[in-house]
Amino acid sequence: MEETKPPGDPQQIAAMVERAEAGDSAARDALFASLYNELHNLAESHIRRSSGQLTMGATTLLHEAYLDLNSRSHVAFPDRLRFLKYASRAMRGLVIDYVRTKRAQKRGGEITFIPISEENVSTVAAPSSIEALGPVLDELGQLDPALAELVDLKFFCGFSFGEIATMRGVSERTVQRDWAKARVLLHDALQNGPLSGSGL
Amino acid sequence: MFRLDREHWRELSPLLDQALDLDAAARNALLADLERRRPELALVLARLLSGHDQLLGSGFLETSLRLDDAPTLAGHTVGPYTLEAPLGMGGMGTVWRARRSDGRFEGAVAVKLLNLALLGEHGDERFQREGTLLARLTHDHIARLLDAGVTSTGQPYLVLELVDGTRIDRFADDQRLDPTGRLELFLQVLDAVAHAHANLVIHRDLKPSNILVGAKGQVKLLDFGIARLLEENVPAQATLTGPAAHALTPEYAAPEQARGEPVTTATDVYALGVLLHLLLTGRHPTGEGCRTPADQLRALLERDAVRASDAVAASPAEEAAERAARRGSTPDRLRRLYGGDVDNLLAKALDKYPGRRYPSVTAFTEDVRRFLNHEPLSVRGQAWSYRAAKFVRRHRWPVAAGVIAFAMLAAGLVIVNRQRQIAESRFRQLRHLSQQVFELDARIDDLPGSATARQELVAMSLEYLEGLARDARGNLEVLQEVSDGYWRVARIQGVPVALSLGNLAKAEESLKKADELVHTILAVRPRDRRALARSAAVAGDRMMVASSERRDTDALAHAQRAVGRMEALLNEAPLSRSERDDAFAVYGNAANLCVNLHRYDEAIRYARRQVELAKLEPPAPRAESYGLSVIANALRSQGELDRALETIREARKALDRDTTLSNDTRRMVSRYPLLLREAYILGKDRGISLDRPDEAAVLLREAFEMHEAGVRRDPNDMTSRERVGTTGLELGDILRWRDPHGALAVYDIALARLAENRNSVKARRDRALLLARSSYALRRLERRAEARGRIDDALAILKETQDYPADRVSLESPIYSVLQARADQHVDEGKLAEAVQQYKDLLERVMVGRPDVEHDLRDAYGLSLLYQDFARVHRAAGTPDEADALDARRLALWRQWNQTRPNNPFVRRQLAALDAGTTSTR
Repeated sequence: MEETKPPGDPQQIAAMVERAEAGDSAARDALFASLYNELHNLAESHIRRSSGQLTMGATTLLHEAYLDLNSRSHVAFPDRLRFLKYASRAMRGLVIDYVRTKRAQKRGGEITFIPISEENVSTVAAPSSIEALGPVLDELGQLDPALAELVDLKFFCGFSFGEIATMRGVSERTVQRDWAKARVLLHDALQNGPLSGSGL
Repeated sequence: MFRLDREHWRELSPLLDQALDLDAAARNALLADLERRRPELALVLARLLSGHDQLLGSGFLETSLRLDDAPTLAGHTVGPYTLEAPLGMGGMGTVWRARRSDGRFEGAVAVKLLNLALLGEHGDERFQREGTLLARLTHDHIARLLDAGVTSTGQPYLVLELVDGTRIDRFADDQRLDPTGRLELFLQVLDAVAHAHANLVIHRDLKPSNILVGAKGQVKLLDFGIARLLEENVPAQATLTGPAAHALTPEYAAPEQARGEPVTTATDVYALGVLLHLLLTGRHPTGEGCRTPADQLRALLERDAVRASDAVAASPAEEAAERAARRGSTPDRLRRLYGGDVDNLLAKALDKYPGRRYPSVTAFTEDVRRFLNHEPLSVRGQAWSYRAAKFVRRHRWPVAAGVIAFAMLAAGLVIVNRQRQIAESRFRQLRHLSQQVFELDARIDDLPGSATARQELVAMSLEYLEGLARDARGNLEVLQEVSDGYWRVARIQGVPVALSLGNLAKAEESLKKADELVHTILAVRPRDRRALARSAAVAGDRMMVASSERRDTDALAHAQRAVGRMEALLNEAPLSRSERDDAFAVYGNAANLCVNLHRYDEAIRYARRQVELAKLEPPAPRAESYGLSVIANALRSQGELDRALETIREARKALDRDTTLSNDTRRMVSRYPLLLREAYILGKDRGISLDRPDEAAVLLREAFEMHEAGVRRDPNDMTSRERVGTTGLELGDILRWRDPHGALAVYDIALARLAENRNSVKARRDRALLLARSSYALRRLERRAEARGRIDDALAILKETQDYPADRVSLESPIYSVLQARADQHVDEGKLAEAVQQYKDLLERVMVGRPDVEHDLRDAYGLSLLYQDFARVHRAAGTPDEADALDARRLALWRQWNQTRPNNPFVRRQLAALDAGTTSTR
């Protein structure tokens, strides 16, 4: 037990991940911030390239961010799973911010969201307010981090149950059941309002 | 928020799981029971369940959000249509609900905006021409193409009949259609496709999401012939790499599409077969378990379709039953129903050879009708044993290349058309391959049970690289790329610097090739920066591999070579930032290796180089801190404790200069290894130290409590658990001699935290150590039986980890500590003869390992302690002569050290202690 790795490893992200996982919330925030910037820059440059439109999905964006980070070998993530764990949270922030910006631009106009996985199905209603979902999800993260992460992956990043099941090494059924639970908790919180864990 | 805290949720979560699976009556029973036990939880559960029921069919969070600017297009006009609302998004583009702006047509339509990238050169003209042909296709079950065009801004679009419906597979599931109902639905699809074929239109992309069913059970096929609109006029074999490949859905593609062969009506027959198989069984005929496009393609080409009668019973049983229930049946009944005719019919449709499938959709339709009427089919006893694999075997290489090419496409790459300059394109392919192979592997890595596929992918990448290396013929740029490719493949195979396949031998093989290639380049261009940097990195990786395989000599040779290349690079010019980072890795790892090999002077040389580099602009305080801490470690191992203490404190100061570490907690976490090292230098129990245990204990307690708090804050925090284990051991070891109560409390917390951690070999060994060391505290508290029990437990653990029995025991190993604890227990119990025998035995086994007591201070001190402890036991056993002999050996040992290292303060302290006849450690 004598030898432990000293600090100073140049792989910054790996170190940040380690610190975040050691319960260091500031490192976690820094990690989210840098991933947020990474995703944001990618999305913006894509918008510039394709004359003002963002036609790429969240999954593609994440994929590109991962490739981009890993091509700069010194900010490489230890592994893809951990990348997704943090990046999906950053993606949530990005999506909510985009919604907010767009809403501001349209001065209150109705925003519609379109499904990513299916083709040619009828229009689907989005939650009345994506922005309201943000704080509620944060609280869900306090209560059950895995459920909040599932919402990020499924709802904000567009991963399928099958993909998430593979990621987590559990059965698809388990993921679906967790999804049902996450949905019901979020719905409940949106309906009954945040009640700050003041006991039952 | 949920009026719940974590504790409550932990209780409630499984109850919710359970309740969601129950029907109303059983739920009420569960709630009533909970009401009696935990009324407050029952209240919340009831509310959540009623919320869940409200949510059914509400669409709440059902659709994934997209970062999509498309809504801004609402109100725009496309030709004569005004876009109203987006309907969906697919591989080919976005679909909008729209209305005619000129009021000529009242109804809403669907406008499909095609991705520009999919339209080839000269596409506009043909797009409109073919679009007009398609517009003539009218059939009840085909969504009409009303118009096709290109806007003034060059955006191609299609105007289609707006269809309101559900995907066919989902419709059948929702309606719980039985096999007959599903076949009848399928007949409508066949009818539509037959009509199109009669008009010489092939669909090319039949799949459930293109087939919708309206509320009245009316089937509508979408996107007829659209794939064709997008195809460039290119030779058939270019399809895989050409633009049309984007439109291909591998899950529903026919083998000839994957091979880039011409598409015919038989291609649609195959897709219909896939669809029917899916409708009847709920599973894909070849792609089950394939999650990546590359896997699906491979399965399509190499795997025979699973029989429908087998697919319905495929495990897990629970899911099979669920699938059968959706078909109003049981797996057994479906198996009997499909066995024979349905199997044969599907085999005919799904044959890998287009020529052996149903000659027409009409023939396919005929057999489906006959089956429904219980008449004999046109096909009987189709040879399922026929192996398409024969084809694959004959065409192994093209298929493999195809899989790679496809996988690369899937990874978002563009591969240059083979028709164009081949050399250039290959070069680019290679560059892409070497860059993307990581990502490809990561994709495959996600799949359970796919080790074979992953290994094959690596194997194919290697084969590919070999071919390109042959083609390179002395082109140094290409050689450099090939070398990079091998290096990247090696990292996937098993360089222990990141997640990998863990195959060190294979990694070494690839690294060797990379090394040889880069060596060739350096022979021609000895000062090539990129080659020098890569050569250093490759040598560095070979060092890591060799060191993991305990090939110490090789590891050292690679380390020295890596450092040599790095020095050569340093001589060329100032390093770029990323080159400097590479240099940190090379020097840092080499220095660490040298400490482990007890080559302290060399370690210090490398670490100093790192510190020098880190001080250049822009300063890299963490790399500097790392270098300094390695130096401190090397100094301590040589007994230069004052200098070691000074250096480790410098390392701490360097870390404090790191401006990215502003927050206190964060600084604490990064400082942990430095704290631990400083504690070792100050007063590691029975270690080379300044013998200031009180100061060491202060630092250790700080680290111990900090990480214990971390565990309480976040139950998932595994790193903190491990650190509670480490600091608990060190702190307990110091406390056990003076405060056994306190020591025991610390040991027990550490044990509990390690037990919660994943069951790694390291964690088990650490637990064995803790058990053994805590026996000393227990004996001081007169709790002998418990002490003995813990020693037995520790031995049992080391048996499991195969550390015990051992012929050879090293002085710093867990087994050494445990065996010594057992002997000391015997002393305490008065069984002195046994204790003497055990000490004798331990000493012998230590000597078998040939500790380097002449040159290595740690070994010398360890052996000296063993002599000292053994002498004490001899005296207790009434054999003082033996004890004196051991003391004499100890004296001789230190006298010799004093000759080779005069004025070493630690050595002098040992001699002084011997002279005074006192013990230095207790």
